[in-house]
Parts: sequence; C-alpha cells; structure tokens
Amino acid sequence: MTSSSTPPSLTPSTPPERTPSTPYRSQLHPGRDGFVRLLRAEWSKFWTVRSWLLVLVLAAAATVVISQLGASGSVNDSNGRVRIVSAPDGTRVDDTFRFVHRPLTGNGSVTVQVSGIEGREGRSPEPWAKAGVMVKSSTKPGSSYVALMVTPDHGVRMQWDFTHDEQGSSSGARWLRLTRSGQELTGYESPDGREWTKIATVRPADLPKAARAGLFVATPPHTTLRRSFGGTSATAGIATATADFDHVELRGSAADPSWTSTDVGAPDPDDPDLPASGPARPIPGSTKVTGAGAFTVTGQGDIAPDQTAGDTVQMSFQGVWVGVLFMVALGALFITAEYKRGMIRTTFTASPRREQVLAAKVLVIGGVTFAAGLVAAAVAFPLAQDTLRSNGFKPPAFPDLSLLEGAAPRAVVGSALLLSLVAVLALAVGALLRSSAGAITAVVVLVILPQILAFALPLPAAEWLLRLTPAAAFAIQQGVTHYPQVDHNCLPESGCYPMTPWNGLAVLGAYVAVALALAVWRLRRRDA
Amino acid sequence: MSRLSALRPLHAEWTKLRTLHSSWWLLAATAVLTLAVGAASVSAVGTGACPSAADCHEDTVKLSLTGVWLGQATALVLGALSMGAEYGTGTIRTTLTAMPHRVALLVSKAAVLAAMTAAAGTAAILGSLYAGRLILPGNGFTPEAGYPLPSLADGPTLRAAFGSVLCLTLTALLGLGLAALLRDSTGAITTGLGLLYAVPLLAGLLGDPNWRDRLERWAPMPAGLAIQATRDLSRLPIGPWPGLGVLAAYALGLLLVAGAAFRVRDA
Repeated sequence: MTSSSTPPSLTPSTPPERTPSTPYRSQLHPGRDGFVRLLRAEWSKFWTVRSWLLVLVLAAAATVVISQLGASGSVNDSNGRVRIVSAPDGTRVDDTFRFVHRPLTGNGSVTVQVSGIEGREGRSPEPWAKAGVMVKSSTKPGSSYVALMVTPDHGVRMQWDFTHDEQGSSSGARWLRLTRSGQELTGYESPDGREWTKIATVRPADLPKAARAGLFVATPPHTTLRRSFGGTSATAGIATATADFDHVELRGSAADPSWTSTDVGAPDPDDPDLPASGPARPIPGSTKVTGAGAFTVTGQGDIAPDQTAGDTVQMSFQGVWVGVLFMVALGALFITAEYKRGMIRTTFTASPRREQVLAAKVLVIGGVTFAAGLVAAAVAFPLAQDTLRSNGFKPPAFPDLSLLEGAAPRAVVGSALLLSLVAVLALAVGALLRSSAGAITAVVVLVILPQILAFALPLPAAEWLLRLTPAAAFAIQQGVTHYPQVDHNCLPESGCYPMTPWNGLAVLGAYVAVALALAVWRLRRRDA
Repeated sequence: MSRLSALRPLHAEWTKLRTLHSSWWLLAATAVLTLAVGAASVSAVGTGACPSAADCHEDTVKLSLTGVWLGQATALVLGALSMGAEYGTGTIRTTLTAMPHRVALLVSKAAVLAAMTAAAGTAAILGSLYAGRLILPGNGFTPEAGYPLPSLADGPTLRAAFGSVLCLTLTALLGLGLAALLRDSTGAITTGLGLLYAVPLLAGLLGDPNWRDRLERWAPMPAGLAIQATRDLSRLPIGPWPGLGVLAAYALGLLLVAGAAFRVRDA
C-alpha cells in the first residue's frame, strides 16, 4: 500500500540503521551490474544442470565413436594397383599426354599456331582438351613444366606445375608463344601471329638448364554421370584429341634438331594388369608431319591434379554429424528450458538488458560446445586415421596426415567451430520459437536433411542445396583442394562440397547471425 | 461407468489432441512440407542431363514423393509431443487418475495419433502425386519417353502412395513410443531425429558398399522408404514391403517396450 520511499508513521520504533529519511535497502550486497557477472550467472546455470554436462560428454564421445565406426566402414582396395604420380610439391597428379619435343638448353622460345582441335572420330572435343606448347624439365611424369594451351571451352590457358592456372583471353587467339629466360617463362598469345599479348611470367619449381620443349596434346576422358534415385554411376569413355599445329618454330640452342614423340606417362603396353581393351586401356598417340613446321598430333590423358582419390581428412570426421544432434539439443534447451519453467522471467528481472543476457548465453554455450567439439575432433582424427591406414588408405596414394599439418588442423578446428555454431543457431532459434521441440526439429532439419537429399537429388539441385543451407558448413572438413581447371563431378556421397572450406562455414555463420538478430528483435518486443 | 467405456479413452485423447493448436499446426506442416519438397524436387529434375529421356531411368513416382523425407520430421514431433507434453506439464498424472488403465490409454493415444497422421499424410501424398502429374511432363518425363504419369490405377504407384502414408503414420508412432519410454519430448525428438536422419546420412557417406547396404537395410528411414520405389526393384538393398516391415518393427516394438515400461513405472 505505502511505497517504501514515504516514511511510515512508526518512526520511533525503527532500528537505527533504518532511518526515516532513507528507503529500505536489502542487507545483501548489491550485485555489480556487469557483463562478467551475467556470464558467470549463465555459466553457473549451465554447469549445475547435470544432464546437460552428460549430454556434452555424450556428444564428444559419440563424435569420436561414430567417426571411428565410419572410418572402419571405409575400405580402399585399389591401393598398389594404381600408379601414383606426384607433382614437385607432392600433390597427386595425372601426367599423361602426347609430347612432340626437342631439347632446349638455356634461353629460347617456342611458337605455334593451333589451327584446330577435334575429338575422337570427328566428335566434338572435351571441354578441357588441351593443345599447345610446353617446356618441361624431362619426359618423366610429374616433373616440373610450364604449358600454354588452347582449350575448346575455356579459352587460352597458361598452366604450370599442375596446380597453377592463369587464364588468357577466351576469344579466338590461336597463336601461342612460350619464351624462357633463365628460370622465368613468359607466355604470349596472339590472334594473328603479329601482335602478341603477354599472359604471365612464371617461375616453375624445378626446371634444369637442359629442358625439353615442344608441342603437346591431352584430353581428359569423356565421363557420363548417371544419377537417379537409388544410385549414381560415373562411366568414363574413351576420348582422344587431335590437334593441327602450324608455323611451329623453336628458337634457342638445341643439341639435336630432330623432333621426338613420347606418350608421357603411358603405361607399358605389355603390363599384365592392363586390360586388353576398353576405356582403361590407353590408345597410343600419333604424330604426323603434314608440311614444313606443320604437325597433326593425337593424344589422350590429362595434365592436372588428380581429383578422383578419396578425401581421407573428410572421412575422419563422420561422427560430427551425430555430435551435431546433441549440440542442437543443448543449445535449444539452454534457453527453452528457461521459458518452460518460467525461469526466464527471473532472469530478465535480475538483468533487464535482454540482449546482454542473450549475448552471455551465446558466449557460454558457444564456448562450452567449442571446447567439447575441439577435444572430440582432435581425438577422433588420429584414431580414424589409424583405422583408415589399416583399411588400405596408406602411402603413397594417401600420405600420412598428422594433426598439425596440412588441412588437418583446419578440419579439426573447423569441426569444433561448426559444432559450436550449430549450438548457437539452436539457441537463437530457441529464443525465437520458445519451444524446444520446434527449435530442435527446425535446426536438425536445416542442417542434416539437405545433406541426405543431396545424395538423392540430381547434381545441380544437390549443389545448390549444399550452397544455400547450413549443411554447406561441412565443407570445412575437406582435405582435398578442388581446382577450377579440372572437370570434376563433385559428388556429395564422396564427401565433396561445392564451396571452399571457409566460405562453406561462413554460410552457417550467416544463418547464425540472422537467427540471432531475429532473436534479439523478438526478445525486445515481446513479453517473456 | 458409461456403456461406451471402451470409447471413452479414445474420445478423451481425441479431445486432447484436437484442442491443441500445435497438433493442427504440425499436421498442416506435415502435409504442406511433404507437398512442397516433393513439388520442388520434381521441378528440379529434368531430362536435360541425360543422353535421351529414356536413359534417365528416373523413378518419377519416388521423386514426386521425396517430401516424405521432411514430412517424417514433423510427424515424429507430433507423435513425441502427444505424449511428451503430458509429462512436461504434469497432465499425465491427471490423465492417469482419470484413466488408470494404462495400456488402454496408450493404445487410444496411438490410435488417435495414427488416424490424424494418416489423414494428413493421405492429403500430402495425393497432393504430391498430383503435383508430379502437373510438373513431370513439362520437364521431359512424358509417357512417350517411357514415364507414364503417376496414377493410383497403377499397382506399384498405389503401393508407393499407400506405403508413404503408412511411413508417416509409423514415424508418428515411433515418436510416441520414444516419448513414452523417455518421458520427455525433447529427448524423444532428438533421439528420433537421430534415428531417422543421422543413420542414413552415415550410410550415404560410407565408402564400403557392404556397410552401406547393411545400414540401409536396418535403419528405419531408408528401409521404410523402400516402399516408394517403383522401378529397378532388384537394385534395392531391401524389398518394398520388408523395408516397411523394418520401420513398423521399430515403431511397434518401441511402443510395446514403452507400454511395458509405462505399466510398471511411476508417471
């Protein structure tokens, strides 16, 4: 009835500390109103609920165990039969093509007009068929090179040491020139052989003074992908490319002025493992001299990183999918449990700045799930690697991967980030929907279902699904770099994601940001 | 006691489920999401990528029914909430005081839930097939190219449609069983979603075809959805009806276990 600021009438009997002039104050120390305090409060809320701690431990354990099961279910039985070619930097590569070459010692240049590329038996050539000039350190597969080429669908390209690719013009330039000066090579293109445009100057990894220079033709196989519900099959058909070269001119000091033709990287035709016919049996290339400085060369194969091998980094983290489920439950419950029990009203009475409460919750649940995820991923990876090795994924085809080298640390930290972002997403959706059932279902469906549908839907639809939904974040677990200059069917079932690792994780980050913004907006506007 | 004592628990459960907003929302979501995902999948697939339309070997009926993958999630939630919500709010104690026969209670809950899900599922499946009929010919899947329009007069299509409705219904019962066993809707939903989605996901990512087949044969969702196949039946890891049987075994088995636990445990 009476407000505490107006002094009551029974002044004389009040104890000395409650003087009539001052309002009532609690004997308790007032809490300091700061964000650190809020964080501590939220942290206490988390760790004092025993079942949540249990879920966190279960999440980590399930991630490790399922990763282990996933690894033991992946078997590689082709090891040993496949020849491994490694680039100077260790990348696994394809290096087979028809090479018409002469020695080139020291500085010099090679110029050519590519007057046409054709496919096998008059068919149109593969989009990434290659015909042009090359300076290569030797005819040994995997050795360092610089090549300048015309491709049917991708214009003029300058490529070197397998992983590097520089685009020239995509217009009708047909004249190519590659000059060597010391350790540097420069590529030029021209539409008419008179006006030359520089494409790039590059420095290959390991080019000796005495190198080989000349013409080359290569084409990747013709792959047809059949994908329908219930299965995907990729069949490689035979492809060859035939290119007409004109005005071939090689300048520089050469000990031997005659041309030699080599099928670089072609297997020994007497190899007993080689099938007698079919697409796996290579067709020998051919070289025809059609005039002075004019050649018709037929070849097959590819000069590019090998993108067909399995990704042993990605294969080591299959348990993260199950970990996601637990993290979603934790994240959602961290806020919806408060709504269910009415605790949220106490929370907001104690700290009326609601977005700060949400921020503290995000930090606590994000931090806790990141820590658990990091431990789980760091334990799962070496264990799964061990299992994969004993299942046939071993060197030289699959090099040993350590936890701190190459793509592994990114995948480990990325998996932990993914798990914690998913938990924060669930928290934000939980703040938005205020129901654990709704939040958990929505987030699980958003994160997991696209991946399942991607197995079944046709490739273009599947790729968009894995670009637009939070499932894109699983790209962070990829250990294989996908190069744009290699035609490669990115199949979701072989663990390939259309986005680069960090961009994929950023998609999930964007979802989290939007969900958090909506949650703050709703917290401010609505009753608790 | 009224004469209709056997119908009383049914009536009570019907009233409970009918008067909750969330039930109608979830039923509507099941129907709409199933239809939407089905229609989106059908419109995303064309014959353009294949050498000729007949070479696509697309199972157009199964494609039209893709939405069941998503519809199962909401059906599961509906099933889990129909039981879990009573535990969450404590209504279960009132319910059990009024209706001490626990098995009858669980059976009537399951019956009402199954009827409602089946009704929504039928609408969703018929809608999906109709959407398929409308969209498929425009994408090159014409009867001339060997893709007859989905029609219930066709035996396998009827089996796929009926089976998909059963799939949705059984998933709802799976949710009910889990919630009755765990006495908590959140736990039931998380476990159920894991069982439905995480297992086929792992199966899809496994490199070893033997393991993949094993998982697809014994996990509830991929096995149950085998009922949707109308072509290349010999390539399936498990036949349509045995597959649905696996899902039914999961759902009904869980209900049995939950019923037994329900009888002996406190509420």
